[in-house]
Amino acid sequence: MSAVTTPARQDTGGTSAKTLNRIVIYGMLALFALFYLMPLFVMLVTSFKTMDEIQNGNMLALPRAPTFEPWLKAWGETCVGLTCAGIKGYFWNSIKMVVPAVLISTLLGALNGYVLTKWRFRGHTLVFGLMLFACFIPFQSVLLPMATILGSLGRFGVTLQNATGLTFGLGNPTVNLVFVHVVYGLGFTTLFFRNYYEAFPTELIKAAQVDGASFFQIFRRIMLPNSMPIFVVTVIYQFTNIWNDFLFASAYAGTGDSMPMTVALNNVVNTSTGVVEYNVNMAAAMIAALPTLLVYVLAGRYFVRGLMAGAVKG
Amino acid sequence: MAFLEIDGLKKRFGSVEILKGIDVDLEKGGFLVLVGPSGCGKSTLLNTIAGLETITEGEIRVDGRTINDLHPSKRDIAMVFQSYALYPNMTVAGNIAFGMEMRGVPAAERQKAIDKVAKVLQIGHLLQRKPSQLSGGQRQRVAMGRALVRDPKLFLFDEPLSNLDAKLRVDMRIEIKRLHATTGTTIVYVTHDQIEAMTLATKIAVMRDGEVQQFGTPAEIYNNPTNIFVADFMGSPAMNLVPATIGGNGSGLSVVLQRDGREPISLPLANPPAGLSAFQGKPIIFGVRPEALTDPEGAERNASNIATADCHIEVIEPAGSDTFAVTNLGGKAVVARLRADANIQPGTVTPLAFNLTKALFFDPTTENRIL
Repeated sequence: MSAVTTPARQDTGGTSAKTLNRIVIYGMLALFALFYLMPLFVMLVTSFKTMDEIQNGNMLALPRAPTFEPWLKAWGETCVGLTCAGIKGYFWNSIKMVVPAVLISTLLGALNGYVLTKWRFRGHTLVFGLMLFACFIPFQSVLLPMATILGSLGRFGVTLQNATGLTFGLGNPTVNLVFVHVVYGLGFTTLFFRNYYEAFPTELIKAAQVDGASFFQIFRRIMLPNSMPIFVVTVIYQFTNIWNDFLFASAYAGTGDSMPMTVALNNVVNTSTGVVEYNVNMAAAMIAALPTLLVYVLAGRYFVRGLMAGAVKG
Repeated sequence: MAFLEIDGLKKRFGSVEILKGIDVDLEKGGFLVLVGPSGCGKSTLLNTIAGLETITEGEIRVDGRTINDLHPSKRDIAMVFQSYALYPNMTVAGNIAFGMEMRGVPAAERQKAIDKVAKVLQIGHLLQRKPSQLSGGQRQRVAMGRALVRDPKLFLFDEPLSNLDAKLRVDMRIEIKRLHATTGTTIVYVTHDQIEAMTLATKIAVMRDGEVQQFGTPAEIYNNPTNIFVADFMGSPAMNLVPATIGGNGSGLSVVLQRDGREPISLPLANPPAGLSAFQGKPIIFGVRPEALTDPEGAERNASNIATADCHIEVIEPAGSDTFAVTNLGGKAVVARLRADANIQPGTVTPLAFNLTKALFFDPTTENRIL
C-alpha cells in the first residue's frame, strides 16, 4: 500500500515546492521592479499635477485633472539661476555637446579597435592595456590637470584669434566638454570595438587587401558596415554617460549660457525664490531624462540583431 | 621560363622556420596543388604568393616579374578563401565588383564584367542577394566569381572546398576543373585532401614541415613516390607499407614477409630496382597499393611479375564498387582491393595476387625509396 502512495505524495510535494519557488522568484522580481519604478512613477504623476493638488493630495495618487502646464513652464519659463527662459536652451547645449562627443569617441574607438586587431604592431598589447587602464581612472583625479589643459587651450585660442580672427572653437565650454568626454570615453569605446573586432574574420580584411582596398577603405567599407551591433552598444553607453555627466559639466561649464542640461536642472531645483514648484521640477527632470530613454528605446532592438550571420562559412 | 617561379623561399617567424627553402615552378595555364597535412606550411606558402605574408628569403616571380615586395593588390592575383570571405554588408554583385570599384573601373564596365562572370558561374539570379541568403555552394560560386572577374595572371585557392559537404565538394571539384579547362587560367591550389590534389592538379607539391617532399605530376607522385611520407599520404585507401626483408637465392632477389604463426611468404622479384641488391638479408619497407594486391582472377593480365600467396583474411569491407579485404602481413594490417563480387569470406585462407611490377621498396632508416 505504502509502496503505491509514496511516489504519488513525492510528486505532489515536488509540484507544490516548484510552485512555491516560482511564487517567491516572481514575487521578488515584482517587488524590485516596483521599488525601482516608484520614483519614476512619482515624478511622472507629480509633473502632471497642479501645485494645489501636490500640497493637499497624496504623493502616489494619480492627477485628478492632468495638466501640461508644468512641462511647458519647465521648457520655456522656469528660472535657472537668475535667467527665467526655461531649460530649452540648456537642453540644446547638451545635444550640441553629446552628439559630437559620442560620434567622435565612437569612431575613434572603432578605428583603435581596427588597428589593435587587424593591423597589429609590436607592443599592441601594451597599448591596449594602457587604454584599458583609462577606464579605471576616477573622474575626480583628472579634474584639475584637465582644467589646466583646457585653460592652456583657451589661451591658445585667444592667440589664434588675434592671429587669424578665428578661435577654432578653442576655449569654448561646449568644445571643451566634447574634448574631455572624447578623451575620457576612448578607453571604453576602444575596449568595446577591440573585443568585437577580435572575433571579426580576418579573411575579410585579406580579401579586401587582395581587392586593392586601402587601410581606410577597408575600415569604411568592410569594418564599419559590419559593426552595427557594437556601434549601437557603444553609442548607447556613451550617450547615457555623457548626457548624465554632472561633474565635468559643472566643473568646466558650470555657469553662463553654455551649461549643459544636468547643471541647469540642478540650478532649477536649487533656485530658492518663492515656493518650490515640485511639478515644474519633476517635469524638468523628466525632460532631462527623456533623451537617454529615447536612445535606448530606438536603438535597443539592434542590440540583439546579429548582422554578422552568414558572413563566413556554410 | 616558367610562368610562376618560386626560388629558395624561406619564411621565419622569430626563430621558427615555417618554410625551409621552397623551390617550385609552374607553366602558364598549369594547375599547381600544394598538399600536405595540417601545419606543413602550405597555406603560408600561398599567403606569401598572395603578398599577405612577408618573405624572409628567396624570390617569387610571376611571368618574369619579381613580386616579393609588391602589395597584394599590385600582384595581379585573385584569391578564393577557405571561408569564402564574402563581404556580408554587400550584395553578390557588390562583392564581385568591389575589386574593380577599388581600382576605379567605371560603373558600366563593372556591370558588363559582373554579367559575364554571372553567366559563366550561373549565379545571375543571385546578384541582388546578400551572402547570408546563399547556400554554401552558392557562396563558393560567388567567391570564385569575385576572383574570376578580375581576370588575373594567377588564381590562388586556399582550401576552397573544405567547408562543403561531401557531395557538393565533388560537384564543385568538377566545376573547378571545368573552369580551369575552359578559361585556361594558371592556378595555385591548397588542400589537405589528396583526392582533390590528384584529380585537379597538373603538378603536385607534397609538403611536410615546411619542405617540399616531392614535386611532380600526379602520376609521378602516385606511381613513383620518393619516400614513405609521400607514398603513405597520396592514395586512398593508403598504400600498404609492410616491414619485410630481402632474400636471395642465386638466380634473383625475393621479398620475404613475416606472418604470425605460419611460415613467411617469399615473393620472387623478376626485375627488382638496382639498389635493392645492397639490401640482401636486410630489413626494408615493402610498399604495395591495395589495387596491386587482389584476387588472382582480378589481377592485371599483362603485368609481367605477379606472385600469388595464401593469406588469412581477417576482415571484409564491401564498398559497393570494390570489396576490400584486410589481412595481416609483417605485423601490419594490409588492405587488398578485390572485385565487388569476389567470393571471399572473413576468417578463411585465400590466395592473393601481388602485382610486383607496381611494388615499391623503401629504406627503413632514411625512409627514401630504393631505386
